[in-house]
Parts: sequence; C-alpha cells; structure tokens
Amino acid sequence: MPQYAALIYSADVDWTLPEYGDEMKEYNAFGEAAAAVIRGGAALYQTSTATTVRVQGGKGGDVVTSDGPYAETKEALTGFYLIECADLDEAVKIAATIPGAWDGAVEVRPVIDFGG
Amino acid sequence: MPLDPAHAALVRLVRDEGTRVLATLIRQVGDVALAEDAVQDATVRALETWPRDGVPDEPRAWLTVAARRRAIDIVRREAARTGKEAAAMELTGPPEEQDDLLRLVFTCCHPALAVETQVALALRTLCGLTTPEVARALLVPEATMTKRLTRAKQKIARAGIPYRVPDDHELPERLRGVLSTVYLLFNEGYGPTATPRPALVDEAVRLTRLLRELMPGEASVLGLLALELLLDSRRDARHDADGRPVLLADQDRGRWRAELVQEGVILVGEGLRRSPDRPDPYVVQAAIAACHALAPRYADTDWTAVLSWYDVLLAVADTPVVRLNRAVAVGERDGPAAGLAAIDAVTGLDDYPLRHASRAELLARLGHTADARAAYAAALALPQDAAQLAHLRRRAERVSP
Repeated sequence: MPQYAALIYSADVDWTLPEYGDEMKEYNAFGEAAAAVIRGGAALYQTSTATTVRVQGGKGGDVVTSDGPYAETKEALTGFYLIECADLDEAVKIAATIPGAWDGAVEVRPVIDFGG
Repeated sequence: MPLDPAHAALVRLVRDEGTRVLATLIRQVGDVALAEDAVQDATVRALETWPRDGVPDEPRAWLTVAARRRAIDIVRREAARTGKEAAAMELTGPPEEQDDLLRLVFTCCHPALAVETQVALALRTLCGLTTPEVARALLVPEATMTKRLTRAKQKIARAGIPYRVPDDHELPERLRGVLSTVYLLFNEGYGPTATPRPALVDEAVRLTRLLRELMPGEASVLGLLALELLLDSRRDARHDADGRPVLLADQDRGRWRAELVQEGVILVGEGLRRSPDRPDPYVVQAAIAACHALAPRYADTDWTAVLSWYDVLLAVADTPVVRLNRAVAVGERDGPAAGLAAIDAVTGLDDYPLRHASRAELLARLGHTADARAAYAAALALPQDAAQLAHLRRRAERVSP
C-alpha cells in the first residue's frame, strides 16, 4: 500500500509550553484515531532552534551553518506523520483530521517505494 | 489529411470509441499513461487502415484488441529494458464500460489536480484530442501542454489518485467539481462576446452529453446541458459579418438555432422535475436562458419571469455577479432609474468591467451623458478580454462628445 508523508505547516510555536496543552490533547486524540495508518512521525521544536547546513563547493567542501530554518515563512514545518493509505483520497481524509490542518495546512506527499 | 465529411465522421468514430476503450484499459493496466499510449497507437492504426479496408463490424472490439496488444508490447519491452519480470496483466474481465467512463471522468476532474490541468486532461482523454490539438484548443504552446499532461499523469500514478467513482456521500461535491470544469471549458470557447473558439464549445457540449448518458437522473447535469445548448443556440447571431459582437437585444433571432433551443427548453423542464426540493443553479440559469430563447423579440422578453428566476438563483447561489445580472433585469422591466438604483446597491464588483458598463448603458438611456462617459471610462480602465474591450469602446463612442 502506498505511503504518504503528511507535513504539517502551522504557527511556529513551542509545543512543550503548557499553553499548548489543549492542542497536544487534540494531537493525541488524532494519534489514537489514526493509529491503524500511522507508520511514524514527530513533532518538531520551533524553527528558532533550527540549524541549516550547506557544504560550499560540493562534497568535502567547507561546512557552512546558518542559524534558523531553510526558509522563513509565516507558517513553519512543525511536525510530520508517515501514513499508509489505499490511495490519495484516503490520505486526504486522514490529513484533514490532523489538528494542524484546521488552522494551518498539511502537505500530503507520496513516498517513493524503491522496491527492495 | 483530407477534411471531407466521410473522413471527419471516421475521425469522430475513432475518437469516441477510443475514449471508451481507453477508460476500460486504464482500469485493466492500472496506469493512465500506458493505456493512453496503447490506445493512441490503436487509433492511429485504425485511421490508417480503415479508410483502405473499410470500417470493421465492431470498431470498439477492433480498437480494444489493438490497444491491448500494444499495451502488452509496451510492458514486455519495458521489462526487457529494465531486466525485471513483466507483471502479468489481467486484460479480460467483465465489461464495465459505463462505470469505466465515469471513473475516467472523476479521475481527470479530481480536485487534487489544478483546474487548468483538469480541462487539458478532459480534452485529451475524454474528448480524445491529441496533445497538439489540446495545445491549440487551449492556446498553449505544444511543449508546455506536453509537459502539463505528462506531469498530470505522473501525479495520478505517483500520488495514487484513485480510478473510481466517488462514494454516494462524496458524489454531489465531486460532481459539482466535474461540472464546473466542463462549464469552464465551455466558457473558454464561448467567450464573453462572440464565441471565439467554437470547437471548444462543441467538445464541452459533447462531454456534457456524455455525462448525461452516464448520470441520466442528475438535475445539475441536465441543467448544464440545457444551459450550454441554449447559450450556444445564439452562436451564429452573436457577431456581425465583420465578426463584431452583437448584444442580445440586437441579435437576429431568426439566426438562433431552433433545434438547440427546443432541446434546451425540454431539458430545463426535466431538470426542474428532477430537483423539486432544492433548485439547482445550472437548471435555474438555463431557465433564465430559456426565457430569452422563447421571446420572439427582445421587447417580448418576460422580465418578470426573468426576475423571479434570478430570485430563485440568489437563494442557492448568491454571488455579486448574479446580483448584478438581476439588477440589469430590473432596469429592463422597471426602467433605467430603477435599474441604476439596483446596480448601485450591489457591492463587491468595483473591479468588474461589466458593472461599470451596465451603469454606463443605463446612464446613457437617462440622458446623463457625462456620467455615462465616466462609467465607460471606468469599465475600459479594467483588464478584460480584448473582444469585450473593443466592444465597450464602440458602445462608449455613442456618448463621446
């Protein structure tokens, strides 16, 4: 069955703060409801904790790091799930129940199956 | 290629049958691009051999066999190239032609595809146009269209857009999406003023007829078909000998195509009977078009009936443009001053050229020449279709000093 990454773009906040407890409860509820299709996933710390790495001049070149995310956007990548669904319609249905889709957006991307 | 009627009919037959063969083959091979290549090959061969050997007794069966053979060839060759075992293909099974066509409709018009992609895919697969024909029809360079269609088929395959008819509870919303794509295609061809691309209108009507065949009881499908036929009945009267647009009020109604009007009016009645609980927006728009179609002269238009239909339409599809059109009808029934007041009460259309143009027409009728000029200037300053712009310029000249 095809797998999809559900990439959650929402307000760039610190999910560990108690004020996000209600949202966390909603995510827990989603995790239970969709347990049958969830194959993995994680919540991410804020983009202010991100480090972006580039190697100048290609492989073996100078490692250059910058403080912050790859792209500064109003809504940030704040977490993701790996889900397994029969088709895109089913994946969209699941994505619509991820709390991040209610005030942000969830990008559904098919995962490459290299066969193996 | 000779364009004699016999050959045109043959091309038409191959395209229509090819669509049905394609719809089934996609289900059997599970891949839009592969099935399309195979059917394309079969149709090309049909167009080469049929004029010489005669049309086979069962053209669809002929195309089916040719396309299946070709599909198996393609899969075997691909397997040989990659050194992988060719997956066995189940190319038989019960015929589900109607269902397969419906599956194809809903896959091509899937909401995960951009609307312009849906339109291109529908022309390519459901109408059977070749990629260069789709490119020409939609005024897009051929290379761009090839890329767009390839990406679309790739997305269908990779993202897992299903090849199935939506469940009952999703069907109304998905059908709305399909119909708005088909109506968009119609309007691309019909244009705001003078039917710039009649071939697209023909394809849209053909597609709507196909939907009616597949979903005979759907009021919205009946309504869309009625609306398209009633609008298209005016095709030959919408422009003068020089190709300039002619307004509804000034059209030679003797040039309206009576058989389309008649079919459209019958469909409106059927659509109304099929939607007793909740009026369908397409059926109601078709009813308004029927009011115009049934008036022998513009002066005979039953504006009270038109206004009632607009009130029904507002109840199910309240948009500023519908409000504007209703206001224009008020102007026709109750005079320009009433119409102007009605238009001024419509908000949210400052960037819509026809709002300013409609005000200008009524102001001119009231003899407020300076105000009419200003309103025309406001309409002309907004971005719009070139033919409509030229038309508004000519209208504006009547009040220029």
